[in-house]
Amino acid sequence: MIARERLNQLKEKFGPAIQRADLPGDSRLFVFVEPSALKAICQHIFRDLDARYVTSIGLDDRPCSGKFLVAHDFAFDRDHLLCSVLAYLPADNPKVDSISDVVPGASWAEREMRDLVGIEPVGHRYLKRLVLPDGWPDGMHPLRKDVPWNHVPAGYDEEREFTFDEPPEGCMVVPFGPFHPTLDEPAHFRLYVEGEMVRGCEYRGFMVHRGIEKLAESVLTYNDIPMMAERICGICGCVHNVTYAQAVETAVALRAPPRAEYIRTIMLEIERLHSHLLWVGLACHIVGFDTLFMQSWRIREPIMWIAEKISGNRKTYALCVIGGVRWDITPEVRAELRQVLDKLEAEWRAVVAAVSKDKNIQKRTRGVGVADMTLVKNIGLIGPVARAAGADIDCRRDHPYAAYDRVDFDVITEFGCDVWSRVVVRMKEVFEAIRIIRQCLEKMEDGPLQVPIKDELPVGRIGVSSVEAPRGESHHFVITGENNRPHRWRVRAPTYQNLQAVPMMIKDQQLADMTISLGSIDPCFSCTDRMETIDLKSGVTKVWSQQELESMTRRGKA
Amino acid sequence: MKLAWIILSALCNVAIVLLVAPFFQGVLRKITALIQSRQGPPLWQPYFDLLKLLGKEDIESGQTPVMQRFAAYLSLTTVLTLACLMPMGFPAPLDGAGDAILVIYLLTLSGICTLLAGLAAGSTYSLVGTSREMMTMIALEPLLAVAIVTGAVHTGSFRLDTVLNGSVYASSGFPWSGAILLGVMLLSFQAFVQRVPFDISEAETELMEGPLMEYSGPKLALFKYAQMAKLVIYSALFVGLFVPWGSALPFPLSWLIFWAKVSGLVLLVTLVAATHARYRIDQAIRFFASLLVVALGALILASYGY
Repeated sequence: MIARERLNQLKEKFGPAIQRADLPGDSRLFVFVEPSALKAICQHIFRDLDARYVTSIGLDDRPCSGKFLVAHDFAFDRDHLLCSVLAYLPADNPKVDSISDVVPGASWAEREMRDLVGIEPVGHRYLKRLVLPDGWPDGMHPLRKDVPWNHVPAGYDEEREFTFDEPPEGCMVVPFGPFHPTLDEPAHFRLYVEGEMVRGCEYRGFMVHRGIEKLAESVLTYNDIPMMAERICGICGCVHNVTYAQAVETAVALRAPPRAEYIRTIMLEIERLHSHLLWVGLACHIVGFDTLFMQSWRIREPIMWIAEKISGNRKTYALCVIGGVRWDITPEVRAELRQVLDKLEAEWRAVVAAVSKDKNIQKRTRGVGVADMTLVKNIGLIGPVARAAGADIDCRRDHPYAAYDRVDFDVITEFGCDVWSRVVVRMKEVFEAIRIIRQCLEKMEDGPLQVPIKDELPVGRIGVSSVEAPRGESHHFVITGENNRPHRWRVRAPTYQNLQAVPMMIKDQQLADMTISLGSIDPCFSCTDRMETIDLKSGVTKVWSQQELESMTRRGKA
Repeated sequence: MKLAWIILSALCNVAIVLLVAPFFQGVLRKITALIQSRQGPPLWQPYFDLLKLLGKEDIESGQTPVMQRFAAYLSLTTVLTLACLMPMGFPAPLDGAGDAILVIYLLTLSGICTLLAGLAAGSTYSLVGTSREMMTMIALEPLLAVAIVTGAVHTGSFRLDTVLNGSVYASSGFPWSGAILLGVMLLSFQAFVQRVPFDISEAETELMEGPLMEYSGPKLALFKYAQMAKLVIYSALFVGLFVPWGSALPFPLSWLIFWAKVSGLVLLVTLVAATHARYRIDQAIRFFASLLVVALGALILASYGY
């Protein structure tokens, strides 16, 4: 009973500060503590017990308990244990000690909590706005329960601008983004460049925040949310879809039928295949090697087709509902999938051989964008970025979900800490994904796709789930609520952590290496922003003024 | 009568370069597409691209529009002037009007046009592109100068018709210096024609076209045209300096052989561009510097008659 063991360790050290604890299984631990002891306990868990920081969640719990709730999630990867440390804060004065000086990776999550829920992290050293737009009025926190989802705040100040930090002496400012050919999504890096060397950088993102979490907590229902969740990201949407479903399922102690678990595993690995192939292509494009970019995308195409055969869509599979999946894998598709995998494996071997021998690519990627173990630990880096630094972490093995406990695969690690190692990790993971899908096709048993749910889901249960997305761990935190929807749903996409390390990774590097360093974390800004692209009406030519555009976007459908 | 003939043949050279340059660009794109398992655009697509750009609204943007306009005109003019100085299957039309030094000057001038364009745009990215272009020029131009001077050392003349006729091999015995320079020029040829792996100053994924970022419409067309023409001009120069064989044959034959050689070079450029990643500026400069050392060695050999 590792969860109980960890709890006892905490009780021994902190005794009365620990108010109560839930152990809904041996893989989850929820500890409710005194707010005053929160920081010390987190420090102990992070430093002494060597857990990995996952994310922090703020919640307006006033309708239920009359208080605010703050939670810090940690993962004990070797113990297969996900742990939340929670503390209730008084409703009139929601303040909590910041943990960002002992857990640097918590910086963004705490700033987000301050922006959206209005919980003040006391002692945070860099309290700039993270999520809310610059003109948003102070003291207005959209994730509070008394704010309606379509609320348009009075006193929005168009003139107010984001103040950037002063550039270091002797440096030129190179604005990288919000629109740049290699970004494809809006995010702004303000680079401080001395000659061709990058000396520092400031990030301003979250430009198209969509408020999906707010919608889920106020408008959608349990089974709407998976379809919304997968629209968080255009590349690893299925990951969010599955993670959400699993978080709710663990909260209410429900388990999808075995066949559904195999199908989830297969779709997740199909997604990993297409994502990694896409990434290798993009990385080659960034360093100017377009031939491999095209070939890699050509090899990827049959994967998209087979996904379309299974789900009706190249992407956005609409796979999960609570308690199961919606699509079956028929015998014909199974046979075809096998063929696709065989062809893919042979072609990918050729690509890997070509890339491994290419001195030119290695020259551009070795020793570039270094993220070592210290950075991995401090910022809580995950996925190929962490594994390329030798960190042996993979949620598929460490926190098994779906059918991953029934298949055999290797966790690929490299030790170069640089972009090249990340290329190698991703290239090798393609073979592991193929292996996993083959085993699933072999072992998949017949049976139902969904468990029937007759009653309302119980209220006030906490569920967390971590899924290994192509770019790292995707983590969802759910508290079940009334009206057939969650009380709180928090999404932590992998890029959220990895992006925080980019300023450290590009410091004192060539400007030319900026794009590939950033590219090497496989950034997915939409995941971080939880945003959506806007499609414009076609046909009519009209120049929209800024005011018009803004009034259009703020109108809201009441 | 002689003057009229010179003018006519100069115009003829200019027209040929203007006509043929987009075609070679089309070949380059088609072959690249085939290597990348794509169908690729039709061969005449670059003509359409240029026509389309030329027909667009002429927008003046950037910091100093006057300089911007000037740079675009100068760029194409320089390259076309060079066309009159190149032997293309028959002797260069303006043979007597200038010598090899003029060719070096004009080649440098066409690079300076890019610098002017970058400075005129005045954006951070174009300035970074400009500084890269400048570094590349400083490291690259001497290579060509050394090759031409070596030819001059061998033949004792800077006259175009002697230098651009395989002069680098004109030593007594085995032409060591010529062979070395041939290698040097082959290795740096991608950089002269600004293709991957040495398209560093424009690097779309890093600098968003660098110096050219503020150009659009007709002026962009001029720059693109100049770039396409450069591929032909540098190929002609390379052929003249290093692969002159067959140029003494009677007219139609020598002409055909010349264009066959140029096509071969374009093919080589395409293959290299399609199979390489872009170098970083510091890596490229180091590469050019080591080539320069080798080239200077060849020049010393040449001065001793090898």
